[in-house]
Amino acid sequence: MGNKQTIFTDEQLDAYQDCTFFTRKEILRLHGRYYEMAPNVVPMDYTKDPDVKLPMQLIINMPELKENPFKERIVSSFSEDGEGSLSFNDFVDMFSVLSEMAPRELKAIYAFKIYDFNTDNFICKADLEKTLNKLTKEELTEEEITLVCEKVIEEADMDGDGKLGFADFENMISKAPDFLSTFHIRI
Amino acid sequence: MSYHYNETFENPDYHFSETLEIDRRGSSQRNPFSYQTPHDSSQSDYYGERRGREQNYPVAIPMASLGPGSDCSQDLPSTSPYGNFTGNLSFEPEPELTYTPHSTSHMLDYPYTHGISSGSEDSFIRRRNRRPPDDIFMTSSSMLETDPMCREEEDLIGSLASMSTNERIKAIQKMPETMRKKREIRNKVLKEITKKSRHRGAQCTQGTWGVSFGRFGNTLSEYFHQLRPWHKTLKIIGAEFGTSVLSYFVFLKWLLNLNIFSFLINFGFITIPQFLAAEPNNLSFTGLELLTGAGYFQQTVLYYGFYTNATISKVENGPSYNMQLAYIFTVGIYFVICFLILLFSMARFFSRNFVKLTKAFSVNASKLLCTWDFNITNEKAVKLQQKNLLTQIKEGLTEVNKEVLNFSVKERVGRIATHLLAWVVSLATAVASCAGVYFLSINNLELFMKGYSNDLQRQTAMLVLPVIVSLLNTLIPFFFSWLGYLEKFQTPGQHIYVTIIRNIILKISIVGILCYYWLNIVATSESQCWETLVGQDIYRLALVDFIFCLLGSFFGEFLRRIIGTTVCMNLGLPEFDIGRNVLDLIYAQTLTWIGILFSPLLPGIQMIAFLIVLFVKKVSLMRNCQPPRKVWRTAQMTTSFIFLLFCPSFLGVLSVIGVTVWRLKPSEECGPFRGLPSMYAAVDQWIQILESYTVSKWVVWIYHNLISSELFFFIISTVVLIVTYLYLEIIQARKTMTKLLQNQIINAGKDKKFLLQKLRREQRAKRSSSALGGRGQQRSSSSYHPSMQPAQEVPGYSERAFDRSQNTSYHEHPFSVEISSSSDFPPGGEPSPSRAVALALRARAAALGEDSDGSGGFQP
Repeated sequence: MGNKQTIFTDEQLDAYQDCTFFTRKEILRLHGRYYEMAPNVVPMDYTKDPDVKLPMQLIINMPELKENPFKERIVSSFSEDGEGSLSFNDFVDMFSVLSEMAPRELKAIYAFKIYDFNTDNFICKADLEKTLNKLTKEELTEEEITLVCEKVIEEADMDGDGKLGFADFENMISKAPDFLSTFHIRI
Repeated sequence: MSYHYNETFENPDYHFSETLEIDRRGSSQRNPFSYQTPHDSSQSDYYGERRGREQNYPVAIPMASLGPGSDCSQDLPSTSPYGNFTGNLSFEPEPELTYTPHSTSHMLDYPYTHGISSGSEDSFIRRRNRRPPDDIFMTSSSMLETDPMCREEEDLIGSLASMSTNERIKAIQKMPETMRKKREIRNKVLKEITKKSRHRGAQCTQGTWGVSFGRFGNTLSEYFHQLRPWHKTLKIIGAEFGTSVLSYFVFLKWLLNLNIFSFLINFGFITIPQFLAAEPNNLSFTGLELLTGAGYFQQTVLYYGFYTNATISKVENGPSYNMQLAYIFTVGIYFVICFLILLFSMARFFSRNFVKLTKAFSVNASKLLCTWDFNITNEKAVKLQQKNLLTQIKEGLTEVNKEVLNFSVKERVGRIATHLLAWVVSLATAVASCAGVYFLSINNLELFMKGYSNDLQRQTAMLVLPVIVSLLNTLIPFFFSWLGYLEKFQTPGQHIYVTIIRNIILKISIVGILCYYWLNIVATSESQCWETLVGQDIYRLALVDFIFCLLGSFFGEFLRRIIGTTVCMNLGLPEFDIGRNVLDLIYAQTLTWIGILFSPLLPGIQMIAFLIVLFVKKVSLMRNCQPPRKVWRTAQMTTSFIFLLFCPSFLGVLSVIGVTVWRLKPSEECGPFRGLPSMYAAVDQWIQILESYTVSKWVVWIYHNLISSELFFFIISTVVLIVTYLYLEIIQARKTMTKLLQNQIINAGKDKKFLLQKLRREQRAKRSSSALGGRGQQRSSSSYHPSMQPAQEVPGYSERAFDRSQNTSYHEHPFSVEISSSSDFPPGGEPSPSRAVALALRARAAALGEDSDGSGGFQP
């Protein structure tokens, strides 16, 4: 990918290092990955912060995301314009949150966003149904889905409003020790 | 019109809680709409105090502005949620996020068109409709100086600027913001710091020093990152087999690193100096020695016996190197470092993974939302995981009806008897294999002492013991897991843990009996150099164990796959047995630790072995195995593996090493400690020498008063015990507190539900009693402000206002009394939709009041 000086200035790399959980090398590698998705759109030279965005279609075809049932949700949760296209900044951000180093609280915030399909800041029944369908390839019957969703809400809803707020979600995650290791994508 | 109305009744809780949230938020945001001069100075004061209050959502927010005069403007935002405010606002930001600035800038830019949607967005979830064009961004930053809302950001920047470099970077990294925002904040903070440091020149240099040190550390860690050949391997394994199998490889990698480290230490401080003073080796090398470790290797740096007890000095009268001290200090310091590494990684794992083990509830919920393994990127693996989850959920559904099985007394007695029997059998097996190993080894030693007729016979006899031990170690676990199947445990978790405990008992007792044999029998035998004998024994054990490990993956996985795919189709592909494999690793590591004293280069051998195991296991896994069907509790498993490595294994090794160093008499003829009463005597001698020099008096003082003084250790351990006890007490108190707070949250939720139900019932009653009169009032109330909210016109709005206007008196309601008494409400038939809002807010505030106390314990 050539000389590192031509891609980012030192100042930019420092900024990325301070704002994400990545080292310089990893940021350059991420740029490489971003670049190879659309070599004729993404410039090699990022020193002037070009305003380039890649559409969701390209990003969800990355091998890391391709088979993930939540790929669209992941990408749109990190998209700055909300429409699913990611700038390089968003791209780095996404993998920073999904990296091993990110703390539980940060991961929880974004996991919540990912599972919140209708973006009403609650994981409600409809969201749970969608999650369930994605997790099981829609092989459960209507009644089973309703039953499971009801069960989940009953278990995790602490304040009794019939849906899961962030506090409920966080509380649940704090009791699921595996979450930290599973909400993680190696790049 | 009726649509929204119906919705209210179909799903009242949902509806109301949302309303209440928005009321709260709306009250803080209504001003930009009603006053059109946001830069007004009075406005800034208003925001200042508003912000302060908003932190704990007190009743005062609505009450302060509920006066009749401001009714119209204040209720606009609170009613609009039914139409425009689909975004929900009750997303409580974490403490550290409260200082993320509100998106005032665009509120000011588009007070009417965008105002509602963007203004209502919580600062927290702002990604959806963030300011799209850059120019707005620019104007917003140019406004920063004047806009009072940016005070918050300034506060944030100020607090960030006062942190240390490390803390600051961590805080910025943790912000759930976009990169652009983070970078902006970072730049501002840096500017702030340079501004500050201009006043204090001295601090500036210090700061840059810190920064450049940080950079240096970063570049260093980058180079280490490059030295990770297995990064890709781990990624592939994670992608296909998920986190649980990956945890085995992570553990293996960790052990490999540990061995590389100890090899480097031993090689650098013990072996290299020995090379300088080495005597020529005149034993012949046939090749079989590679297996037995005897013969030629006896006279190499591999074993204790070859090391000299002299001080090595190349230059006459120059600096010399004392081999005895080097040996004892290297091993000692290595164990101290190992101890610390294990302790810290154990503590880290515990704090990460056993966050709350008090109550393992929300089984279903976490299954749904927390178990998806984002690591997996292989198509087949994804399908398999989906299938596994499906079966689990289905199983869970059937269990909903089953509940807990109740056994009769007879059945229960039968169960307990089976468990007892199984335990007796497994313990008996362990004892029997220990006895077998013990007699075999004694027999072996006698034969060894007597000598053999020929060399080949002698070398084969040497291999009998390690082969038997490895056979026991490999075969008995199968017997144990078969026993486990017979026992019919209620949960698979129990089965796994009981089997692991039995295997650990077996392996540790075999190692224990071998240690007893080495320390009590071999050490007192009349052999020439017993340390070398022990070293050879350990070498053979480690090597044969390694070979068995390779054979195990050949027979256990490769042949099993062949059988499973061709002969017995219903067997299918084998699964990777994480538990057994990890125990093998722990066993191998224990041997290495014991062997370090007798054979300093053993870590190097083990390092090569682990490297080969890593790649063989990887290939075997990719070729032969399928991802595990059970969802392992990976994180907890890894933690317990590290714990097992620490508790029986490492502590046992420490005691063995301790006995060897302090109690046993080293051989007379060989090794660095020849002629001394014990290995530790070398240190005593050194201290005596040091006493004659005045320069090193402090070392002697430390030695006498701290290291060899019982009183010091007595005091230290008393202090540690007291501190531990205090912490235990604090933990107990916290647990009680957590329980109380949890109950409080649940109660608050119940209260809220109850109040909302009551409110709804009241509404319904009122509406049915006076339906006609209200409509007139409603019209008049809606005529207050048609022009004020062009963007907020909602179809259901007037209906809503009508509903509210009916709720004029709730005298039977406990809160309504408070409302009418504490506020200057016009009593009776005044058309005030705000009354219902006030009531609802009251209920909300009451719930939140407790809630905010309660949630304190849960937010990090």
